[in-house]
Amino acid sequence: MFLTRSEYDRGVNTFSPEGRLFQVEYAIEAIKLGSTTVGICTQEGVVLAVEKRVQSPLLESSSIEKIMEIDSHLGCAMSGLIADARTMIDHARVTSQNHAFTYDERIKVESVTQAVCDLALRFGESVHDEDAMMSRPFGVALLIAGVDEKGPQLFHTDPSGTFVRYDAKAVGSGSEAAQSELQDKWHKQMTLKEAHILTLRVLKQVMEEKLDHHNVQLAQVTKEKGFEILDEVRLKELIDDM
Amino acid sequence: MPDGSFAQQPQQRQFNPYTENGGTILAIAGADFTVIAGDTRQSEGYSIQTRYAPKVFRLTDRAVLAVNGFAADGNMFVKKVKQRLEWYRHAHAKDMPLRAIARLIQTMLYAQRFFPYYVYNILGGIEEDGSGAVYSFDPVGSYEREACRAAGAAQALVQPFLDNQIYFKNQMAAAGQSHPLHLPLSDVLAIVIDSFTSATERHIEVGDGLEMYVVLAKGRSSQGLDGLRGAQEISTTNDGDRVFVIRRELKKD
Amino acid sequence: MASPSVYNGSGFDFSNVTRNSFLEGRGLPLPKATSTGTTIVGCVYRDGIVLGADTRATEGPIVADKNCEKIHYIADNIRCCGAGTAADTEFTTALIASNMEMHALSTGRKPRVVTAMTMLKQMLFRYQGHIGAALVLGGVDATGPQLFTIHPHGSTDKLPYVTMGSGSLAAMAVFESGWKPDMSREEALALVAAAISAGIFNDLGSGSNVDACVITATQTDFLRGFVKPNERVEKERRYVFKRGTTAWKKEEIKNLVVSETVVGHGEQMDVS
Repeated sequence: MFLTRSEYDRGVNTFSPEGRLFQVEYAIEAIKLGSTTVGICTQEGVVLAVEKRVQSPLLESSSIEKIMEIDSHLGCAMSGLIADARTMIDHARVTSQNHAFTYDERIKVESVTQAVCDLALRFGESVHDEDAMMSRPFGVALLIAGVDEKGPQLFHTDPSGTFVRYDAKAVGSGSEAAQSELQDKWHKQMTLKEAHILTLRVLKQVMEEKLDHHNVQLAQVTKEKGFEILDEVRLKELIDDM
Repeated sequence: MPDGSFAQQPQQRQFNPYTENGGTILAIAGADFTVIAGDTRQSEGYSIQTRYAPKVFRLTDRAVLAVNGFAADGNMFVKKVKQRLEWYRHAHAKDMPLRAIARLIQTMLYAQRFFPYYVYNILGGIEEDGSGAVYSFDPVGSYEREACRAAGAAQALVQPFLDNQIYFKNQMAAAGQSHPLHLPLSDVLAIVIDSFTSATERHIEVGDGLEMYVVLAKGRSSQGLDGLRGAQEISTTNDGDRVFVIRRELKKD
Repeated sequence: MASPSVYNGSGFDFSNVTRNSFLEGRGLPLPKATSTGTTIVGCVYRDGIVLGADTRATEGPIVADKNCEKIHYIADNIRCCGAGTAADTEFTTALIASNMEMHALSTGRKPRVVTAMTMLKQMLFRYQGHIGAALVLGGVDATGPQLFTIHPHGSTDKLPYVTMGSGSLAAMAVFESGWKPDMSREEALALVAAAISAGIFNDLGSGSNVDACVITATQTDFLRGFVKPNERVEKERRYVFKRGTTAWKKEEIKNLVVSETVVGHGEQMDVS
């Protein structure tokens, strides 16, 4: 696959003779090193779940933040270079607030996803008179979940700035196994509860450690209550029900 | 002066970028429709610049904007609102809802807080819930949703009439009865026409032509509008909210 | 500007002008007078004079009177159209009409138009433009048809066709393109009506109907409402309120019938 990479993988804005942007492809590779993240869309709402790799017994697991709120009706889970996601989440939050300020309505899930993806390609060398750009592509994939007038939706974004809508999606190190499991188990009439259980089961399968309420995090976005991260009590209940 | 002393005197010059171009606009909301109207005379001082300068504009199939005041500012403002609606359509793949347009107009007006558009805006149309709505604005963006509003040269003549006929101000309901919350379309159109013919009689800047836009909520029958003299449908689709325009002549003196 | 001194030896005292402008500067403006925005015209034709006027009176942008009379009587053979401050044109023409009658009585002759013109201009000049009357004066006398304009400061013009008021340019445009010497009565009337109409439709200060007046050596015809191109249209609805619509705070009924009992006093009349 990388036989002809030669010098073309140096510049972030140079195509290889085969028409590839290696730096972007490498960035996508970086995500595969990240912890597994799962998102499932149902008619009742969207569920997001992440694996938290607790690498040391001294690590405070609650300080690992991989699911974040964008707005009261929008949430986001990530996999890859988490630090990069902060820039994107910041942008998404500003976009969403600005939309509410200007139009007195909630921004659509697709629109906020588009806004984040517009940002993803602003890397390269800054040109004269332009704002300084980012030096490299983002090394993170996002699962953006939300509810708007079109109902609950789940979007996946990658470092190339591409975004696609999914019924269920897994990203990160265990994504291949997780995705085929989702494909097997997901169905249209799935309830929110079923989705919770499914995300946990999928994570359990691909995780090296034993799954417990310290090394996973679960969140949901519903029409009624918007975005919420499930607390330890609810998480424990779900793990017990699994 | 020969000795140049003239230059020593303090002098003041000023350029006034605004003019007042007369005319009047009004809008009335019904239960499932809204009527937005304006005369078509544009004047400056005692001169008529044109007998046909539209002040009411269809923005979408559910929103109509009337602008009154300084015509140049009004036209530019409508142009910019339309541009923002187009951008929104491209960014979000839908027409902007009425209340979103109302908020957008506020932010656009307030952006010019210290060099305002010299324009009074009235936005009318159908809300997401299918109800008729009127939003009125001041030149720097203060806005409010109302059932009816008149603005412009003859505001002082028309608004009290509307208060009496739409809000039933200073009218006691007959014993055991109450005033209706919304009037039917035919009554509203009659009140609009009478407002403008009366304003034409007593205000020198009102006259020439009358344009009434009617926005009907989705699924409401256009009964009574099809047969109406001078009525014409200008909606882009006929499975959503619909827009009609009715044109009438007004006195030209 | 007039001297602010009150101790002028003779002539009019304009010191109130200074006072009024001071008051205005302190935020106490004078009450706004009704103005006849107005188109008024006059033209000479073969047998005499045709005068014309619109009938709108305004207070700022509001129409105060939709059908006022702007062609004023001066004498049987003289009429005067007035533009400007309504009170000034009405009072000035009435005063001059009165003085012309006195003049006619004391001279025993039919009054001449120049006489009225001279009286008007002398009066207006005395008031230095503070009487806001702009007039078109026309009539037929011993010297033939006469037509004048008189400006508020007292200057006058004598011309075969004249216009005044805010619609004067619109009306003059019609005269300049259509006036010719020795027109017939019908031609002159049509031209005057067209000139006034130009003012009615193109000048916001003028409106409603065309009044006309034809003066010949033998008679004067005042054609009130000569053309009525701006009749009010019928309303769509009837605005009659049901009895009981107006709220009241209290009801008090006073009996206006006073009844009294007359009791007989003194002696009865002797009817025997």
